[in-house]
Amino acid sequence: MFGYIWQYVYTSFLRYWLKWLIRQATGTCELQRICSGYKPGALRTTKAEFSLQSSKNKVLKVALETSTNNLEQCVDQIMKEKNIKPQRDPRFKESLHICLLQMTGYSSLYRSVEELRKEVYSSDNPKHEAMLLKLWDLLVPTVRLESRITKQWGDIGFQGDDPKTDFRGMGLLGLINLVFFSENYTMEARQVLSHANHPKLGYSYAIVGINLTEMAYSLLRSGALKPHFYNTVQGVPELRHFHQLYCYLAYEFDKFWVAEEPESIMQFNQYREKFHNIVKSHLQDPEVCLTLTFSSKN
Amino acid sequence: MGLLTILKKMKQKEREMRLLMLGLDNAGKTTILKKFNGEDVSTISPTLGFNIKTLDHRGFKLNIWDVGGQKSLRSYWRNYFESTDGLVWVVDSADRLRLEDCKQELSALLLEERLAGATLLVFANKQDLPGALSKEAIREALALDEIKSHHWCIIGCSAVTGENLLTGVDWLLDDIAARIFTSD
Repeated sequence: MFGYIWQYVYTSFLRYWLKWLIRQATGTCELQRICSGYKPGALRTTKAEFSLQSSKNKVLKVALETSTNNLEQCVDQIMKEKNIKPQRDPRFKESLHICLLQMTGYSSLYRSVEELRKEVYSSDNPKHEAMLLKLWDLLVPTVRLESRITKQWGDIGFQGDDPKTDFRGMGLLGLINLVFFSENYTMEARQVLSHANHPKLGYSYAIVGINLTEMAYSLLRSGALKPHFYNTVQGVPELRHFHQLYCYLAYEFDKFWVAEEPESIMQFNQYREKFHNIVKSHLQDPEVCLTLTFSSKN
Repeated sequence: MGLLTILKKMKQKEREMRLLMLGLDNAGKTTILKKFNGEDVSTISPTLGFNIKTLDHRGFKLNIWDVGGQKSLRSYWRNYFESTDGLVWVVDSADRLRLEDCKQELSALLLEERLAGATLLVFANKQDLPGALSKEAIREALALDEIKSHHWCIIGCSAVTGENLLTGVDWLLDDIAARIFTSD
C-alpha cells in the first residue's frame, strides 16, 4: 500500500520537481543526462524510452509514434523544445536519433511480424509451396520427396502427410523461420534435426520449430525482447533480426532438450516452459544478447 | 440443518470431474480448451505432449486433459485413460479424407476397458468452415448409432466462434453427474 502511494507521489510530483532541480543545477535535461551517462544499448534506450513516455511535453510524447523517415526532424524539434545547443552537446543528436530508431523500430518490427503471422499458409500459393519444398531440400538434400503429400514429411517433424495444417496460428511466419534457420545455418539445422530424430530423445523437429516461433512471437509482443534488440541492433531492427532470434531459440532449445533427457515427447510442454523461463531470465539482464554461439564439438 | 449444509459443502468439494479430450491432429482440441476457458485462440500451434486446465464450471471442478493427436503421439493416449469421467472426441468436420481414420481411432478407444465407464461427447468441430460436413453426416460416418457401450451425444460446434461449446460441455456434465452424483 505504502509502495503504491509512494509510486503515485513520485511519478506525479516528485519526479517532476527532482528533474527540474537537477536541470537547474547541471544545465542539462534528463534525455541529455541519459545519453551521456549510459553507453549505447538497452540501458540507455530503455531509460530514454521511459523518459519520453512519462514526459508531459507533447513534442516528446509523440516522438514514440513518429515514422522512421521523420525521426531526424523530430530530434531537432525535441532539441529546440528542450533548448539543447548542438555546440555544447555535439553527440546528443546522434545518440537520441539512434535511440528513437530502436524504439519506433521495435513497434514496426512487431507489425511486420504480425503481418507474416496472419498470412495463412495456402497450397494454392506457388510461393508458399516453393518455400515448403525448399525446406525439405535444405534439410534432407539426399532424399527426394516422392510427392507433395507424403508420409515423408514426418521425417522432418511435421504431424501428417501434408504440413499445411501444421502452421496454424503462426501462419507463414512459422515456415519462414524454419527455412531461414536451414538456409543460413544449414550444418547446425541438420545437426538439430538429427537430434530430433533420435529414437529415444527425439522430438518433432518442425512442430517444435513452430512452437518456438510462437515463443519468439509472444516475447516480441510482450515487449520482452526490447533489451535484446536494443543491444544487438544500433538502428531499426528488421525481420531478419527476428529470424535470427528464432535461430537462437531453435539451436538453444535443442541443446537444452538433449541435456535434460526428458522421459518422452509427452513432457514437451513442461520443458518448453522451463526453457521459456530461462530465456525470460536472460532478458532481465540489461546486457542481454541472444545471439548464436556454436559449441566446438560440431 | 447446519450439519446438512456442511455435509452438502463437503460433497460439493468432491464434485470433481476428469475430462479427456482426444481426436486426430488439427481437429481443434486445444482451440476448444482455450476458447472454453476464455483465452485468445488466434496464436495456437500444434500440441506436443498435452495441456491440462482446471476450471470451475457450474459448481464442478473440471480437470480437462488435451492430448496431442498426431500419429506418433496416439500410442501415449492410454497413459491418460485412468479415472476418466468424460471422453470428448473432437472431429474436424471439414477433413473428409481422414474420416475413416477418425472412425477407427474412436472405435479402438471405445474398446478400452479403462474408458468403459466414461460418457462420450463427440464435437463435430469447424462448423464455421464452408466445406464442413453436418453433424448428421459425421454421426453416420463414425457409425455412432452402433455404440451401445457408452452414453454418447454429438454436437456440431465451432471452436473459433465458440458456438455450441457450452451446450456440449453442459450435456456431458449432466450425464456424468447423473451417473456419479446420484445421491444428491
